[in-house]
Amino acid sequence: MAFCTGCSLLCDDIEVDFEGGKIGRTMNLCRKGRGHYDSLCVDRLAPTVDGSEVGIDDAVSKAAEVLAGAENLLLFGWGNSTLAAQKVGVEMAKKLGCVIDDPSSYSQGLITETILKGELPTCTFDDVRNFADVSIYWGDDPSSSHPRHLSRFSYFPRGEKRQRGYEEDREAIVIDVRKSPTAEIAADGFFKIPPGGDGDFMGALMATLGGKIPKVEDKKKMLNLGTKLRKSKFGVIFTGLGLAHSVKGELDEFVSLVGKLNELTRFSVIPSLGDYNTRGFNQTLFDETGHVDRVSFKDGVNHGPEFGIAKYLDACDAVMVVGSDPAAVLPASLARKLAKIPMVAVNSHRTFTTDAAKVTVPIAVAGLEAGGSALRTDGVKVEFDAVVKSDYLPDVEVIERIMEAV
Amino acid sequence: MAGAKEVTVVTYRGIFQEVEEALGMYSDGYRDQSAIVSLDGGDIKELGVEDGQPVILETGSGKVVVAAKLSEDPHPGLAFMPSSPWSAQLVSGEVEESGFLDLKSFMAKVSLSPAKEAVTSIEEIAERIKAP
Ligand code: SF4
Repeated sequence: MAFCTGCSLLCDDIEVDFEGGKIGRTMNLCRKGRGHYDSLCVDRLAPTVDGSEVGIDDAVSKAAEVLAGAENLLLFGWGNSTLAAQKVGVEMAKKLGCVIDDPSSYSQGLITETILKGELPTCTFDDVRNFADVSIYWGDDPSSSHPRHLSRFSYFPRGEKRQRGYEEDREAIVIDVRKSPTAEIAADGFFKIPPGGDGDFMGALMATLGGKIPKVEDKKKMLNLGTKLRKSKFGVIFTGLGLAHSVKGELDEFVSLVGKLNELTRFSVIPSLGDYNTRGFNQTLFDETGHVDRVSFKDGVNHGPEFGIAKYLDACDAVMVVGSDPAAVLPASLARKLAKIPMVAVNSHRTFTTDAAKVTVPIAVAGLEAGGSALRTDGVKVEFDAVVKSDYLPDVEVIERIMEAV
Repeated sequence: MAGAKEVTVVTYRGIFQEVEEALGMYSDGYRDQSAIVSLDGGDIKELGVEDGQPVILETGSGKVVVAAKLSEDPHPGLAFMPSSPWSAQLVSGEVEESGFLDLKSFMAKVSLSPAKEAVTSIEEIAERIKAP
């Protein structure tokens, strides 16, 4: 069996045949996973300096030169890196006394950090499959972002105490601005809210759970939801970017709501994180510093918004981006700032970011060309082996070599 | 004004876009899945736009031409757009005090392209980012 590192579900039941270096027949991959596998032969990154192709050794030494000359260095990315590479990355940030951050600083970092601090209860996907009778997808559309989420864990499968699966044993609730593919599946369980309306929805649900009449248009639907949640044996809330962006860094109301649900029954939270090992990076940095992102090792350990990529771009004079494509995601004004800073980009594929980098260093695709380990989005550790031979170096080896050269 | 309208744009990730992205951002497939905006039926009528026609999306931060798509469900005043380098052109780079960067929703003017401009290419966006 092979693994898929196409998203943070890290599916472990993949069968694949290679036909002359290309992907042939596969089993159990979703469309996104198949795209990830097929990408093995598309747009691979070459080692370059100032846009000209060089040998890997020259790229590594030039990368080290860029990093060594910096006063205010940012190491960014890491969600598509193995745990071993992430560990070396954090070591490197300590050694160089620089800033380290990942895309969770503009996505679900706060939710993950609150879980790691033990302030939001969580559970594993195996608990979900076996015991959950209510799955709430909040600002989250796993049918698009994590395509096998509902079929492997959260809605369709039968489990130990959920022998009748979605037909009778599970409810799907979607709270979203858009009628997403997941909302289509939830049918009557879809609650459409206006943009930024998550806080009001939380307030109304809190009131309902507290036995009050909620101040919403469709009172009956909200009261029914309250009854459903109160009667559930074990519910899980899957959070997505929609929720993270709507609460804008203020999680107190959500934490209170989950607390209230736990007074009445049992509820857990699992974030649907983007990159295959976002959870791994957040955990690795948390274990070292007590924070999941935006950390400076300049004078001891410091943490704050000023060390998130969005703000730190104003201060930094060199960047190393590993396995991430911030130039494609950040607002154009910030992407332009990023492109003007001397940048080293380590990636398996060509991206917007690698195109803007001074130095590019290619790596193997983890889970296919290189083995390693990662944390699934529910925090469960998985280990995988390479399934195809490759000349590309594993990410950990490249990061180690750059660190040694610095 | 006929032919122009203020809408709240909300970004999302689509499965087909995810597939195309895995296969390379410089492909036509990725553009077709990303450089689009889904508009409410009433809004699209008011704008005088046909399904698939290029429209200009403009904010204080930037401007792109993307293809209009007619939504099956009603959502007047709201527009949905895949999160991509196209939507990133329109998002403000202003960081909130908490350090949070809102990439998820923004106000934009949507209008017909008088010169029938083509959908902004990914190469043009890459050039904008790298421009001195
Ligand atoms: S759900 Fe995610 S990990 Fe599983 S096959 Fe699809 S892309 Fe790969």
